[in-house]
Amino acid sequence: MARPNEGTPLLEVRNLEVRYEPKASRSLTAVQDVNFTIAPGEFVGLIGESGSGKTTLATALLRLLEKPGRISNGTIMFDGTDITHLDQDELRAIRWRDLSTVFQSSMNSLNPVVRIEPQFRDAIEQHSDLRGEDVSARVRELFDMVFIDHRFITAFPHELSGGMKQRVNLALALALDPKLVLLDEPTTGLDVVVQHSILQNVRKLQEEKGFAVLFISHDIGTVLDLSDRILVMYSGRIVEDQTAAELLREPLHPYTKGLLGSYGDPRAETVRITYIPGRPPDLSLVSEGCSFAPRCPEKIDRCLTEYPELLPIESGEVACHVAALHRLVGADGIELPERNRRFVGPEFVKTADESAHARERDIVLTVDNVTKVFEKRRGLKVDRTVAVADTSFVLRKGAVTALVGQSGSGKSTLARMITGIDSPTEGRIVFHGPDGDQEVASFRGRALRSYRSHVQMVFQDPYSALNPTKRLGQILERPLVNYHGLKGDARRKRVEELLETVALTPADRFINRYAYELSGGQRQRVVIARALAVLPEVIVADEPISSLDVSIRAEILELLNDLVQDHDVGILYITHDLLSARMLADEVIVLNEGRVVEQGPVLQVIRDPQDPYTRTLLDAVPNPF
Amino acid sequence: MSTTPNDFMAEGEPDQGQAVEQVGSSTTPDSWWQVVWSSKKARVGLVILGLYVLMAVFAPLIAPHDPLDGSFTPLLPPSGEHWLGTNTNGRDIASQLIFGSRISLLVGLFGGALATAIALVVGLVSGYTEGTIVDDVLSFVTNVALVIPALPLIITLVAYSDTRGVWLIVGIIALTSWAGAARGKRAQIITLRNRDFVTSAKFSGEGSARIIFSEIMPNMSSLVVAGFVGAATGAVGAEAGLAVLGLGDTRSVSWGTMLYQADAQGAIQQGLLTWIFAPGLALAILITAMSFINFGVDLLSNPHLRED
Repeated sequence: MARPNEGTPLLEVRNLEVRYEPKASRSLTAVQDVNFTIAPGEFVGLIGESGSGKTTLATALLRLLEKPGRISNGTIMFDGTDITHLDQDELRAIRWRDLSTVFQSSMNSLNPVVRIEPQFRDAIEQHSDLRGEDVSARVRELFDMVFIDHRFITAFPHELSGGMKQRVNLALALALDPKLVLLDEPTTGLDVVVQHSILQNVRKLQEEKGFAVLFISHDIGTVLDLSDRILVMYSGRIVEDQTAAELLREPLHPYTKGLLGSYGDPRAETVRITYIPGRPPDLSLVSEGCSFAPRCPEKIDRCLTEYPELLPIESGEVACHVAALHRLVGADGIELPERNRRFVGPEFVKTADESAHARERDIVLTVDNVTKVFEKRRGLKVDRTVAVADTSFVLRKGAVTALVGQSGSGKSTLARMITGIDSPTEGRIVFHGPDGDQEVASFRGRALRSYRSHVQMVFQDPYSALNPTKRLGQILERPLVNYHGLKGDARRKRVEELLETVALTPADRFINRYAYELSGGQRQRVVIARALAVLPEVIVADEPISSLDVSIRAEILELLNDLVQDHDVGILYITHDLLSARMLADEVIVLNEGRVVEQGPVLQVIRDPQDPYTRTLLDAVPNPF
Repeated sequence: MSTTPNDFMAEGEPDQGQAVEQVGSSTTPDSWWQVVWSSKKARVGLVILGLYVLMAVFAPLIAPHDPLDGSFTPLLPPSGEHWLGTNTNGRDIASQLIFGSRISLLVGLFGGALATAIALVVGLVSGYTEGTIVDDVLSFVTNVALVIPALPLIITLVAYSDTRGVWLIVGIIALTSWAGAARGKRAQIITLRNRDFVTSAKFSGEGSARIIFSEIMPNMSSLVVAGFVGAATGAVGAEAGLAVLGLGDTRSVSWGTMLYQADAQGAIQQGLLTWIFAPGLALAILITAMSFINFGVDLLSNPHLRED
C-alpha cells in the first residue's frame, strides 16, 4: 500500500449515498451526496440529531452495512485505497490495524465469557508480530494510557463499571496504533462526570499519538470542546463543514445555530436557550427543496423548491441559500432575513429574579433525615449499601426543587421513596396533603393508590413510558377513570384539554394516535399530560429530558416551567445536568454518594459552589461559549 | 417565565400540521395480517386451513353420503358413487373423511384456546407476582403439570370417565398441555413488567388484573397467537392419537376413529389403503398447514425475520 504524501487526506469520501431498500416497506436514502475528507491526525466531529444518518454514515465508512442497506453511490478512499467495494478478506487487513472503532453500544461489545487480556491478545496477535510476554506488556501499556488499574487486565467484563468498560474499549481500539479511530457516541449512557473524563482522555491521547478521529455525537457541546473541525449532518446530508472555532464564532447554517442555541451559560444572569420546533423529515418521502426548510426560521421562497448546494463560504462549506445569498452572491433583489448569529426560533428564557418568591410558598412534602440502606445477603455475609444517608429537604407548591448528582448518588432511590415505591430505613417522608399530614411509608393498598392521585411521575425515557399498544386518548383517560370517575363526553373533553395544555394541538388530531407516531419530544409531552391528568400536588420528574435530542430539550423544560406557573404543582426535578437545573429549578440539592453536599437557591449554588463535587459537576456541563 | 419572540410555527400553523400528518402515514407498521401473509409458508398454510374449514362447515353439502350409513356394500373400490370406496362396515370412506374434519378442527380450536387461556392466566399472574407466595404456588402447580407424564394421565382420565364426548377430549387435552406455555408466558412477562409504562399504569391507579391483561398482555399478543397455533396443532394431534388408541367418541366420526377402526379391521393386511391413508394424510396436511402458519406468526414477534 502506498504511503500517503503529506497533505493528502487520510479519508476521502466522495458523493457517498447509502440506501435502505427493504422488501416490505418503502426504500429510503439515509445518506445522500456526502463529501468530506479527514487529514492525518485531525480530530473531526460529526453532529446531528437522532435519525440524521450519522450512524449509517459511520457503518458505511467501516463497511459494516448490512442488508437491506447498501452503498448505492460514491467512493470511500482510505489511506490511498478505495475501500468502497473491497471484499471482506481484503478489508480484514485494514480493519483494526489502520481503522478501528468504539461503538455506540460498546457497553456490550466485550465478550462476557472471555477475560479482558485474551480479547486484547486476539486483536494484537492477528495483526502484529507481537507474541507472548510482549503482548502482555503492550496491554499493560494500553491500560496505563486509559488510566485503569492493571489488576483488571485479567478480569471478566462484568467486573468492570460502565466507564471502565468504555475505557477498555478505547484501549482496544488503540491497541494497534490505528490511523483513524471512529467513535460513535462512545459515552452515551455514561455518567456526565465519567463521560467528561473519558473524552478528555481521548483528546489527550489523540494529540500524543497523532491518530485521526471521527467523533460522532448528538451533543454539539462536547463535540465543540474536542474537535478541530465539525461536520453538521441533517436528514442524511452534510449541511455545514467548518473548523470548530469558526463554527462557534459564526455558525452559518440555521440548523447549526439551533444546535448551538440549546446551550447557555448556567452562571449568567439571564439564560436563553432556543429549541428547534418540529421534527426531521421522513427520508422515505421524496421532498422538494431544503430538508430543513419546514423547521427553519430564516427560510425564503427558494428554500422550498431548490435543495441548496454545499458551497464553500468563508473558511468552510455550507448548504444554505440564505447564507450563500448573504455572503457570496449578494441579495440580488430577493428579500432576505437579517444576518443573525443566533437561531431566531422559539426560546426559553430564565432570569435571576424569578425564584425568590417561590421559596416562600407552602410546603407540600417534607423529607426528614431520611436514610436508606440496601442489604444483600450473600451466604452468611450481609452486604450493606447506604444509598441515601441522612437527607432532609422540602418540596413547595409551585416551586421546583432540583436533585442533582451523578448516577449512583441516590437520586432515584429518593424518588422511589417519595412516590411510595420504597420506604426509608430511617427518617420520615411526610406529605402535607388535603387530609392533613401523612407519612408516605405508611401507605398500603388503597391508601397508596389515593396518594398517587397527589404525587405523579414523569419518566426518563418517553419511549418506554407509553404503552405501545394504546392510543394516546386511552392512555390519558385511565387516570381520569380511576381517580375521578369521569365518563363519556366529560372524560373526552378533559383528555382534549390535557393534550392542549401540553401543546399537542389540535387535540383531535392526536387523540387517536399511537405513541410510535410521535417524536421523542411529543411523547414526553404525553407523559407529562398523563402526570397532570389527576391535578397532582407533586410531580417527580426523573431526568425527563436526558433521553431527548439536545435541540428539543428546552421545549420540554419550558412546558414544565409553564405547569409550575399555571397549575401550581411542586416539581422534584432529578437531573445530572446543572444547566437544566438552572433553567427550571428554584432550589437545588447536590447529592454525592447518598449525602447532601450542598443545598440552596439554584443561582447561588451555581455561581458560588462551596463543595468540590459541585464544581466537578459544573465542569462537566458542556459549555462551548 | 417563557417567551416566544416570533410566532414562528406556533400551535395550529399549517407547517406543523403538515409535519404531524406526514409522521402518521409513514411510520405506521404493517398490520398483523399483512405481516403473516407476507410469508410464503404462512400463505400456503392459511389457504390449506381455509379449505379445511370450508370442508368442515359445508360437510353435509359436499359429502355424497351420511358417514354413519352402513347400508352400502362393504369393501367397494373407489368409484363415482363412492370416491374413496367403502370400508368393512359398508360406510362411505370419503364422507367419513369429510365429516371427520369437523371433530379435528373443533378440538384444535377449543383445545388450543382453552390450553392457551389456562397458560395465560397462570403464567401471567405468576410472572407478574414473581417472588411472592402467589408465584410460588402457581409455579409449583405449573412444575407439577410439567412433570406428570401426560399420555398415561390422559388415558386414565378418559378410561374412567362416563361420557366420551368431544368436550371431554377438549378439556382433557387442555388440562394436560398448558404447563409448558405457562412457563414461557411467565418468563415473557418478567421481562415486560419492569418497563416504565407498567410503573406509569400503577401511577394511573390501575389494578393488577388490568395491568396484566390490558396493559402488558397486548404487548405480547404475537407470542400469544403463536402459542395458540402451537397448542391447537398439538390438540389436533392429541385427539387423533386418543382416538387411534380407542379412547375417542365412538359415536362420532373423526379421522382418529377412522384410523382406529381401519387398524382394528386389519385394513393394511387387506390392502384397503385408502381407508388408512386418507385420514392419515388429511391429518398430516392439516398439521403441516398449521405449522406453516406459525412461520408467519413468528414474523410478528421477531421483526428481524421479516427481511429476506
